[in-house]
Amino acid sequence: MKDQRSYFEKADFHSDFPLQFLAAAFGLMLVLIELGLAHWPIFHGAAPNLSLVFIYYVMIYHSKLLPIFSIFLIGIFGDFLFSDLLGGRASALMLLAYVIQYRISRLQQSDFGELWLDFSISFTLISLFQLVLFMLINMAIPSLNPILFQIGVTLLLLPFGFLMMFAFHSLLQKMKVV
Amino acid sequence: MRLSDKAGLRQRRIVHGFLIILSFSLMFLGKADLTALHNLRMAGSEFLAPIVDTVSAPIRGIETMIEGVRTVASLRAENVRVQAENDLLKRWRRRAEILESENRQLRSVTGAATVENRIPITARAVTAPGGSFAHTVLISIGAGKGVVRGNPVVTADGLVGIVIDVGVKHARVLMISDINSRIPVILASSSWPGLTVGQNGPFLELQFLPGEAKPKIGELVLTSGHGGVLPNGLPVGRVDKIEGDKIRVSPAVDFRQLSYVSVLVGGLDGIDNSDLDLGNFYTPLPVTGSTRLLKGLNSSGKRR
Repeated sequence: MKDQRSYFEKADFHSDFPLQFLAAAFGLMLVLIELGLAHWPIFHGAAPNLSLVFIYYVMIYHSKLLPIFSIFLIGIFGDFLFSDLLGGRASALMLLAYVIQYRISRLQQSDFGELWLDFSISFTLISLFQLVLFMLINMAIPSLNPILFQIGVTLLLLPFGFLMMFAFHSLLQKMKVV
Repeated sequence: MRLSDKAGLRQRRIVHGFLIILSFSLMFLGKADLTALHNLRMAGSEFLAPIVDTVSAPIRGIETMIEGVRTVASLRAENVRVQAENDLLKRWRRRAEILESENRQLRSVTGAATVENRIPITARAVTAPGGSFAHTVLISIGAGKGVVRGNPVVTADGLVGIVIDVGVKHARVLMISDINSRIPVILASSSWPGLTVGQNGPFLELQFLPGEAKPKIGELVLTSGHGGVLPNGLPVGRVDKIEGDKIRVSPAVDFRQLSYVSVLVGGLDGIDNSDLDLGNFYTPLPVTGSTRLLKGLNSSGKRR
């Protein structure tokens, strides 16, 4: 007779769901941290988009951990807390996820410099998409300085974010080996 | 590709398509200002406010620590500056007392406009504007303390914004720097009326000034009280830059340092709140047969 435990072990350890849940929770936590950072005078009206750095990293190296629904959730949560146009950030992030999925093999083989450049272009396009939506819906042009500042600060934080996530990933790998 | 893979792919595509359509629909529904969506948004904010507050606490702590170190470093210079400022303020206080007395006498003669009696209630700013597309803050008091939509929010320096959504314990404030904010103002020295319009940036724009108006750099901009939602005489900012038709106003309040605010509760009697409920801040002038809009002013804004 076959040992029944092996079936349960397989069911417990091979499901992506717990990790997906953790990744989504971490993304939501980053949105809350962004909101906290907005209290710093320097980030008033333009907090760095940490959740985008996280989504970008996870989509390239661990895309299974972040299904599109989690990205939608993170986006809507951000829209909700920042009192932005509901769905604006969510749709921008989902479109970015599709673009990354489409080019994933090339991005995975790129060095960090190329990734940084790609992220710069992606973030600029996301901001432009949100800006166009905002202008269409509000029929007004907002001040561009805070948007540019936000792009600049997020780009500066990208290496730090990648370093932290690589470090966290290798730590998890080591724990798994032990 | 197996049949089950194909079905899975198709199912995923349907879910993705649905999520994209949902996002776009939410955008338009959000702009349609539906009451149900407003209530949902406010209920969500109310639920999340304690979580946001808890997560923000250590980040605010770091900021306070940095500020503390900076303050200690500049304490000596600060002391000299404060002493000089204190002397200046004493002189200003004497001058203000004289002017107040003179003002009281003049009011009794002319019946000039007075600010309505509103009760200030202090609240803590739970969030700060972090996005580039909306400038709102969540504050720690709501309907439980008598706050209603349209109440002005101020600090000692001047006007911060207007309450736009009210929950039981929290309320959301649309700041004057938001692009959707329009504040009826007058220039303090010349009394010309206009509107300040937010730009989602650090400055406001002064629009709809009459052609004859000649604003000066540094001139104070005050709320005019037209429309009845805001009391008159609240400082909004100072004229900062004039470039052709574009007049830039620097807000009186430093929004980057916003921790506590006062909500001016009351004084909205006689205002058509049904318009406010729809999110439309246009308030029709009261039709009473009299042309007097504010005490001491007629419909064209001239003193009687």
